[in-house]
Parts: sequence; structure tokens; C-alpha cells
Amino acid sequence: MNNGMNYDLLLDALDKAENGPVLDEKEWDREVIGKNFRETLEKYDISMERDDPYITNDDALADRLYEAGMELAVKTGVYCIDTKRRMTWTREELESILSDMPDSVTLGTGDDTATVRRRRPEENSHVVIYGGPFGIPVSEELFIPFHEAYAREPLIEIFNLGTLLSTRGRKIRAGSPWEAVAAWQEKELAFEILERVGRPGMAMGCVEIATTEVGELAGTTLGGYRPTDAHKINFISEQKTAYHHLTEATHYAHVDAFSESYFNPMYGGYVGGAAGVALACVSGSIVMRACYQGTLNNIGPTHVHISASTHPEVLRALQLGLQALARNANFLTSPFIRPTTGPGTMEIFYETGALAVASAVAGCSYIDASQSAAGTHAGHASPLEVKFVAKLTHAVEGLSRADAAPIVAWMVDKYKDIQSEALTGKPFQELHDLETLDPTPEWNQMYLDAINEVNQEFGLNISG
Amino acid sequence: MSNWESKQTEFTESILAGNEQAAVALARTSLEEGATPVEFFENCISPSLQDIGKRFETLDIFLPEMVTAADTVEKVNEDVINPAVAESQAGESMSLGKVLLATVQGDLHDIGKNMVGLMLKVNGFEVVDLGTNVPPADIVARAEQEQVDIIGMSALLTTCLPYMKDVCDFLEGKNIRDKYPVIIGGAATHPEIAEEMGANTHGGSAAEGVEKCKMLLGKL
Ligand code: B12
Repeated sequence: MNNGMNYDLLLDALDKAENGPVLDEKEWDREVIGKNFRETLEKYDISMERDDPYITNDDALADRLYEAGMELAVKTGVYCIDTKRRMTWTREELESILSDMPDSVTLGTGDDTATVRRRRPEENSHVVIYGGPFGIPVSEELFIPFHEAYAREPLIEIFNLGTLLSTRGRKIRAGSPWEAVAAWQEKELAFEILERVGRPGMAMGCVEIATTEVGELAGTTLGGYRPTDAHKINFISEQKTAYHHLTEATHYAHVDAFSESYFNPMYGGYVGGAAGVALACVSGSIVMRACYQGTLNNIGPTHVHISASTHPEVLRALQLGLQALARNANFLTSPFIRPTTGPGTMEIFYETGALAVASAVAGCSYIDASQSAAGTHAGHASPLEVKFVAKLTHAVEGLSRADAAPIVAWMVDKYKDIQSEALTGKPFQELHDLETLDPTPEWNQMYLDAINEVNQEFGLNISG
Repeated sequence: MSNWESKQTEFTESILAGNEQAAVALARTSLEEGATPVEFFENCISPSLQDIGKRFETLDIFLPEMVTAADTVEKVNEDVINPAVAESQAGESMSLGKVLLATVQGDLHDIGKNMVGLMLKVNGFEVVDLGTNVPPADIVARAEQEQVDIIGMSALLTTCLPYMKDVCDFLEGKNIRDKYPVIIGGAATHPEIAEEMGANTHGGSAAEGVEKCKMLLGKL
């Protein structure tokens, strides 16, 4: 059994989507989410101020946040936008679902497996690196070299993919046969890349091109992506689902596939500010597990103006949410690292590094890096930022929150004032030799400079 | 009218708090005291909403407060401003124009589109929001039904861009392309893409969207 999904629970979730109380989406956003979030934060006395430290060192606060998140999960549930119904679970149901979560899982096959384990805050244990240009648009021509440069990086243990811009020279049209064609092409290219780097069993995040369920169903079938890969499924912000997602969850149960469920609570949106986002990390994780029974739990809070997850307020919220989850349940959670800056800038190392350090000491199980340049600029990503994240993360495993705080503060200070400028850097083909795939000497030097800087500032001993 | 400043502050606080009664009463009193609906709009509603827009830019307030303020202003318009305009028979509507908004087929991203809708509303446009995942034929049909002035579409996914082009093609096919200026936006779009698919213009942000809509209707 790969995903260990409980089929009765899945059917029960599908039932809830058909039979729950009917509600207008506006009412869901404003009342069920907006009002309940505000009231719960007040009741549990949870607040985060702009001049608070970036890393919280308060176990009682983390546990209070968890309790608040559980209460909110029961109060809110999930909204299905297709049936316009509200899906709810009792506290007993949720507690039973959470108590059945495994505390570790092994993805991939053969020599290329990666075991993701529950970690506690400050725990001295391995954080798995899930690396790749998640969702970043890339042309068919560049798809192989771009991704191969990542796949051959040994520090990457699970491999994430970008978005094909066309398929076999044609435009990809969501929900049409072209999405199926693209899903199959993506699968073929991805397998070819794994073969080329000699890591055929490495798990991959998939099906990336799946805008609708068509891509996922077409790509995860006989000869397609494997059950041992990490199949994506998400919530629409906040805590909303659709038939599209529920169909995917059903498919994962049938083909016994691992899944990575993810959600992006909006900072400045209906959940409010930093405290609301922290709370959303907990309540969203709980109801998402109930709804999809996802194997991995990826949280990518998003700033409403700059879309980044590395904004100082968002980072502060996310690390507290991670602590609450890590201390209280077997979630295998990752931060979703989405910096504003792109490769070819020094700032990308600080942006991705700060969130990686904060998350590692907060007890995350794995780290998904990096949706560089906020993910919207074709080819603007490089494996060097992932390598930096990986080295830094492994160097701070076991560090206390107090000791990690100055590293995070130092890095945040270096980028916090330039985030609105969107320094998108340069595309992959200008930063790497397309024959050897090696970074250009200048770009590599920037990476080495960043490593040297943190070594010197904080007495670390990271090799280049 | 000399005390616009204090009125405006009071109006801002009322709409932010969603206090419909206070906001409506303030508008009513102002008109009773002799202000025209246009004066009230220019001196109270418009600066209040600009003020709120700025606070949202810096995230001193969040989306729920913006939404509440926009809803409350809508109520003030419905209850006080629109009837007064009709009565005065000035013939001039307070609305800058009617904009249809939709996130196109396949795409479920709605945050950006909702922000554009809000900014349009608070700047005096009427908005018909069709939601997300809207097929091109529905967009065209609703534009005709609602007799909108502009069609606005959002896409964050590259795979949904063809549906935006469909809308332009369908309008063309029905010989009504000139009737509807088309504006597109969202992370998968940029000005060249707008040009390529035959849209009239592109908005990179909600604020730019508002400016471009004004331009499209010759109101700038
Ligand atoms: C939040 C988010 C999600 C959330 C959406 C929640 C919601 N309720 O909207 C969830 C988790 C559901 C999601 C899902 C997916 N997402 Co997404 N998502 C994002 C993210 C991180 C932020 C988007 C956002 O809301 N930003 C904040 C808003 C305010 O910004 P905005 O939308 O750009 O809007 C502003 C302007 O663009 C403009 N604007 C927007 N619309 C319009 C319209 C008009 C008329 C005008 C004038 C202006 C205008 O004004 C707005 C305000 O200033 C982006 C990354 C990014 N940098 O954009 C990825 C991103 C858009 N997603 C992406 C992808 C790939 C997906 C998935 C396919 C992933 C997958 N494999 O499962 C699914 C698709 C689901 C679907 N069918 O829609 C890619 C798209 C790549 C591409 N080019 O195709 C991006 C770029 C990230 C990435 N690289 O992976 N996502």
C-alpha cells in the first residue's frame, strides 16, 4: 500500500460535498472564513506584530495556535465550489483522521528513494529537499536541459517540474485533449531526464501541466507517472475544493498513488494578516488532510500584492504555523519557497535562505524550493538557489530557534526593502552553459559568495 | 459646502466598518443640505475610496475591509445617489461604465480578478463578475445580455490563454467586436499577448486596470 488512503473516508468526503448545507461563496469568504478567523484569533489571544522577531520561541503560543486551528477546522470545514456546499467534520472525526497519519513515508523506488519523516522544532534530523522550478513556464526546447540541471544535483531528493509552454508546437488548452497530450509529453520528458542523470526511481512532483483533472488522469495511467511519485492536489484559497480536485483524490486512491496536497493562504486576504495566515496554516492542513488524505502537506502562503511566501510577515506566520503542526501531529509539511527575486541576483539567496532556515528549525519535514521570480517569468530559475537552500538547511538542522533567529533576521534585512522591485534576474540559458549545464563562472561566484558570507557571519562551515 | 473634510473622514470610517445606516444617513443629510449627487461623489465617496485603496496597498487594512467598504458604498449609491440622479433628471449616470469580469475557462485563480473588480467598483464602475472557469461563449452571451461597456478577463495560467482569444474571435464572428473593448490581465498575460490575441489592452495591476478602463471609454 503506497498512499494508505482509507476509501470509506474518501467516500464520506465525497458525500459531504453532495449533502452539506448549501451556501453562497461570498458568505463562505466573508462569514465562515473572515468572521470565524477574526473571532478565533481573539478568543485564543493570538497576534503577530510587525516588529516581533521573525522566529517565535514560544511553545505555548504554538500549541495555542494548534488548538485554535483545530477549533476553526471544525467550525469552518471546506467549501465545494461546484456543489456550493459546505463539507464539515466533527472534532472526533478530525482527531481520528489525524491520529491515523503515518510519521514517515518513503517516496520513489530502488536506489532513488527519499524518506520524509515527521520532525519536531529544533530537531537534529534530515530535512528532505524537494527541488525544481515548480510551475515556472519553460519552452519545449529548453525543457530537458533546464530540468536536467536540477535532476543531477545530488542534494535534490525529490524532483519538481516546470510548466510546458506548448506541446508538440501547439498551444496547450486547459481541459482539452491538448492538456492530455501535454501531460503525456511532460511525463516522457521527465522520465528521459531521470534516465539521463541515472536516477530513474527518483520521485517527481506531478502532473505539473494539469490545470484540470484531465492532465492528471491522462498522465497518471498505464505507462505514465508512477504511484511512487508525488501527485499534486490543492485547495483554492481559502479552504475551497472543486470536483476537479475531488476527482484527483479519488484517482489517487484507485491507483494507490502518493499525493502532495498544498494550499496558499492569502496574506492580506480573507484570513487577514500574519496571525490569520499562521492560523490558516493549521486549520487548512487539518481539513485538507480530511478532504484529500494527502501524503505530503505543502503550505505556500501568498502575499496579495507581491505573491511571495518570503515576505517578512508571511515568513513569520509560516514558521509559527509549522511549529504548531510539527509539535502536535504527524504532518509531513513543507514551506513552499516563492521569492520575488530571480536567479542571477544575490538577493535570491537571502530570500530563499531565510525561509529555509526558519522552516527547518520550526520542524518542517521537507523543503520545496524554489518558485523563483514568483514563478511567472519563463525560465527564470536555476538549480543553484536550490543547492544553496539545501546546504544551508542541512547546516542548521538541530539548531535552536534562538540561534537561528539572527541568521534569519540578517537575511531578511538584506531583501525586505527590495521585494516590491521584483528583481527577476536572468533566465536559465543566460546563467548556465547549455552544453555542460554548469553555471557560468559569474553566477557560480555569486553562489560561493553567498555561502562564504553566511559562513563568516555565523561561524557555519558550509562547503561550496 | 465647507465641511467636506470632516464628512469624508466620517464617511470613510462608516464604510470601513460596514455601517450602512451611518453612511446612508450621511449621504442623505448632505443632499438635504444642498449638495448635488455629483458633489457628494466627488468630495466624499471618491476620496474615501482612494484613501481606503491606499491603506490596502500598504496592507494597513485587508481584503475583507475593502470588500465591506465597496459593498457599503454600493448600498449608498442604491439608496441615495442613484435615485437622486434619476430625480434631478440630469440624465447623467454616476456610473463610469459597466465592466464584465471573468477568470477564463480552466482557471480557478480569482484573487487578482476580485481585486480588479473591487478597484473598478470603488472608482465608480459597475461590475458584473461572472466568477472563475467561465467558458468563452458564456462571456460573450452575458456581455450581450448585460449590455456591458467593457469585457475584462483574467488568466494566470498559460493553458487558459486560448480561451481569451476565443472571446475575441467569437465577438469578431458575431460582428460585434467593435461594440466591446476587451481588456485582459493576470500573471500569464502581458501587453504583447493582448495584442497578439486581438484584445484592446492589458492591465498589469488593478490600479492600471482602472486607468485603462477609463481610457477605453474615453473618460480620462
Ligand atoms: C495563489 C496561487 C494559486 C492558488 C489560487 C487561489 C485563488 N483563490 O486564486 C491555487 C493553490 C488554487 C493555485 C493553483 C494552481 N496554480 Co497557481 N498560483 C498562485 C500564485 C502563488 C499567486 C496568485 C495570486 O493570487 N497572486 C496575487 C494576485 C493579486 O495577483 P494577480 O492574480 O497577478 O493579479 C494582479 C494583476 O495580475 C492584475 N490582474 C489580474 N487579473 C486581471 C484582469 C484584468 C482585466 C486586469 C486589468 C488586471 C488583472 O491585477 C491584480 C491585482 O494587482 C501564483 C504565482 C504568481 N506569482 O502569480 C501561482 C501560479 C499562477 N499558479 C500556477 C500553477 C501552475 C497552478 C496550478 C496549475 C498548479 C498545479 N499543477 O496544480 C494550479 C491550477 C489550478 C487552476 N485550474 O486554476 C503558475 C502558472 C504558470 C503558468 N504560466 O501557467 C503560477 C504562476 C505559479 C507557478 N509558477 O507554478 N495557484
